[in-house]
Amino acid sequence: MFRRFVISGILIWCALGASARTRLHYGGTLRLEVQGDPWQGPDGIARRLTMDGLTQLDIAGTVQPALSSRWESQNDDHRWQFWIRSNVQFHDGTPLTADAVALSLTQSCRYRCPWTKVHAVGQSVVFTSDLPTPDLPSQLAQAKFLISHQNAQGTLEGTGAFRPAGFPHGVMVFTANDDHWSGRPFVDTVEVRPRRSIRDQWMDMGIGRTDVVEVPPEMLRQAGQQHLTIVASRPGNLLLLQIENTGPLANPQIRQAIALAVDRNALSNVIFQKQGEITAGLLPSALSGYGFLFSCDRNLNRAQELRSGATPPQLTLAVEDGNAAMQLSAERIVLNLREAGFKVQLAPVGGKTEADIVLRQIHLETNDPRAALDEIAEDSEQHVSINGTDIASIYRAEKDVLATYTVVPLLYLPRAYAISERVRDLRLAVDGSPLIADAAIEDTK
Amino acid sequence: MQRPRYNPRKPMISVRRLLRIALAVGCIGAVFARAAAAADRTQPVADLARQIAAFAGPGPAKLTMRNLSSLNAEEVPFIRKMLERDLRGYGIHVSDTDGATVIRVTLSENATGGLWVAEVQEGTEVHVAMIPVSLGPATHTQTAAGITLRKSLVWQQKEPVLDTITLQSGDSRRMFVLEPRKIVSYTIASDTWTKEQEFPITHSRPFPRDLRGRLLEEQGHLFDAYLPGVLCTGTQSENSLTVSCTDTDDPWPLSGPAVPQKAFYNPTRNYFTGLLAPGFATQLPPFYDSTVLPRPNGVAMLFNGIDGKIIMIENNTMKLVAGVRDWGSDLVSIRSGCGSGTQVLVSGSGAAPMDSVRAYEIPGHEAEPVSPPLGLDGQVMALWPSENGASATLVVHTETEQSQHYEVYRVSALCN
Repeated sequence: MFRRFVISGILIWCALGASARTRLHYGGTLRLEVQGDPWQGPDGIARRLTMDGLTQLDIAGTVQPALSSRWESQNDDHRWQFWIRSNVQFHDGTPLTADAVALSLTQSCRYRCPWTKVHAVGQSVVFTSDLPTPDLPSQLAQAKFLISHQNAQGTLEGTGAFRPAGFPHGVMVFTANDDHWSGRPFVDTVEVRPRRSIRDQWMDMGIGRTDVVEVPPEMLRQAGQQHLTIVASRPGNLLLLQIENTGPLANPQIRQAIALAVDRNALSNVIFQKQGEITAGLLPSALSGYGFLFSCDRNLNRAQELRSGATPPQLTLAVEDGNAAMQLSAERIVLNLREAGFKVQLAPVGGKTEADIVLRQIHLETNDPRAALDEIAEDSEQHVSINGTDIASIYRAEKDVLATYTVVPLLYLPRAYAISERVRDLRLAVDGSPLIADAAIEDTK
Repeated sequence: MQRPRYNPRKPMISVRRLLRIALAVGCIGAVFARAAAAADRTQPVADLARQIAAFAGPGPAKLTMRNLSSLNAEEVPFIRKMLERDLRGYGIHVSDTDGATVIRVTLSENATGGLWVAEVQEGTEVHVAMIPVSLGPATHTQTAAGITLRKSLVWQQKEPVLDTITLQSGDSRRMFVLEPRKIVSYTIASDTWTKEQEFPITHSRPFPRDLRGRLLEEQGHLFDAYLPGVLCTGTQSENSLTVSCTDTDDPWPLSGPAVPQKAFYNPTRNYFTGLLAPGFATQLPPFYDSTVLPRPNGVAMLFNGIDGKIIMIENNTMKLVAGVRDWGSDLVSIRSGCGSGTQVLVSGSGAAPMDSVRAYEIPGHEAEPVSPPLGLDGQVMALWPSENGASATLVVHTETEQSQHYEVYRVSALCN
């Protein structure tokens, strides 16, 4: 019956006003601004746009296939085999091969790698390690293990959802990769304006010059007051003190006294505007489930007791990242330590190498408790030994690390972005990085 | 396929009776569910008691228990009672008085599920025991007035689901679940679906993001699975199932065999191109979904354009439908027997984390809601007609901070 229909009506598309919101549209340009260098560090969004890992984490933190279509653990997690997805090409057209993957991983990890050896076997990559690595698939999703290869000009090429397309007028331009193995991204182009201060980012957002800007945790409340639309991650940035265990701080009792003297509540309430999660454990509570077993309470009397009779010489506290909130946190910690009888001074910016205590942040990229503990231990240069596969083994390993008092967890902080009304479905990965390829622009027809 | 039928007068009473019966069955079910949930805790409680006993010797002990997890608070006293009973088996007698042994139990949870932690303190020494626990599935209920949409859970899993189909062959029933990478067959025994086989979906081109796919029962073989640029065919010969997939641009069926209209799907996007088969003189604009609507003078077709506008083609004319501001991308018509006999089920905006489905009728060219929105705990991913045309298959993606899963519902309408 329908076959008989012949179109005779003339459509008046603009007659009915605003339309409903529908599935995500394709097309358009997404503009975002960042403080740092988009190619550097775990926050480097350009790397996430242009490169893929062997695995990836979904929003819930579950490991999913990426450049590896499947994998298998062998020999009690001492050997892992990852099969490389077929028909994938780097942006310059070079096919992705197991050899290229093995070479990329070898070059990206030269020290404290989660494997002893990585090599290609046919269309698969084999990792071997002296110790069992049950969390290797989760670890391989980290930004540092993204796969790339060097083209003839010496530039790194990835397989990611976007290709670098130039740097005109201080704006990095990335265009959609139509042949991406996970499907073409929704937007045609992403423009990244690097090295913009938060103030400038917010100003640009106010005049409609950008779609995505960064919101530091201490400014989340302010962003809410300004009615900005916010997407925030679970607290995944660990603020911690890293304490030397040599020289004046060789005595573990002194280090314990420092840990007991710090007032986490004040840091959270005053500086980070209650946007963080107070922690005395290395893993966030949502990940471990046992965070409450580590006491966050400040105990000045006990700190003074432990310190008495062993007053160390002048100590220096430095901040690894020189932003204002970190600097303020360091100043408050110095006051806390002085209240416990320590002679502490704040090192000038850039004085990290000579400091006895360093205030720093570790960016957690995984949602697997074991992989997360490994990641934190590696980043903070701690030795961790997890004997067993159950959660109780992870707890014991974490407890052992904390008992050295060379690392003192303080707060877990979220990552957040403000987005314009044009942006739809911008979500954050489990590590807080924005999933640009899955977002769309609303005004695109 | 059942023939369309009109709403008979008498069955209204039967429907009320049915509702009462359903309510009673629901209550009984809830009681059994609670009992089953309590039974599920027996093993973890026993394990925890065993671990506690390994640290605490026989004698009196003070027990405290707190719940930091999403576990129903009503369960906590039962768990405590079970734990006290199990501890007695090890000679540990729980009392309220302060003793040498203090046992602090925390019902917590982490990224993978529940975690019960016991701190056993004797003097200054504290030992810790931990037991991972399944928190169990959440329960879903839904009530409404007017025409009532009812959803019944058919299936749920962590991996994405595009569509499901249940096929009866003789005495055996099979369910096929279409996932982005594979088709999985399940057989039923004692009301439990058991995985039978997995069939990988082979394709040479990458699938688009926002992947859509549809399973359809076919004459001559079991089913066809339509995916962007790919057609998979499921066949059964004697006792073996086979699924073969080929790259193809064949058009997808838009409706049942009564109106054999097909449309071409864009293999790199999430919508139909607008080109129909059999075709017309003019190509339609791209659309997300389409459905057939019985009308007094035949049938009309609704097309949900990618710009959110709804086109109705009826009696050789194409018109815009008004009153569709709240419509999302997915629509399907079901023969409910209520009201005009057929309603269009439409997804909500799809933008909010909590989506909905609502029934509409279109007497002229303006859509009128005829049911309250059926609230959902997540976002509508697919809404396809079911095999009999009287209900729809709804796929909902729910996600929490800890997990995400896909739920497949059968949605039908009840006449009030």
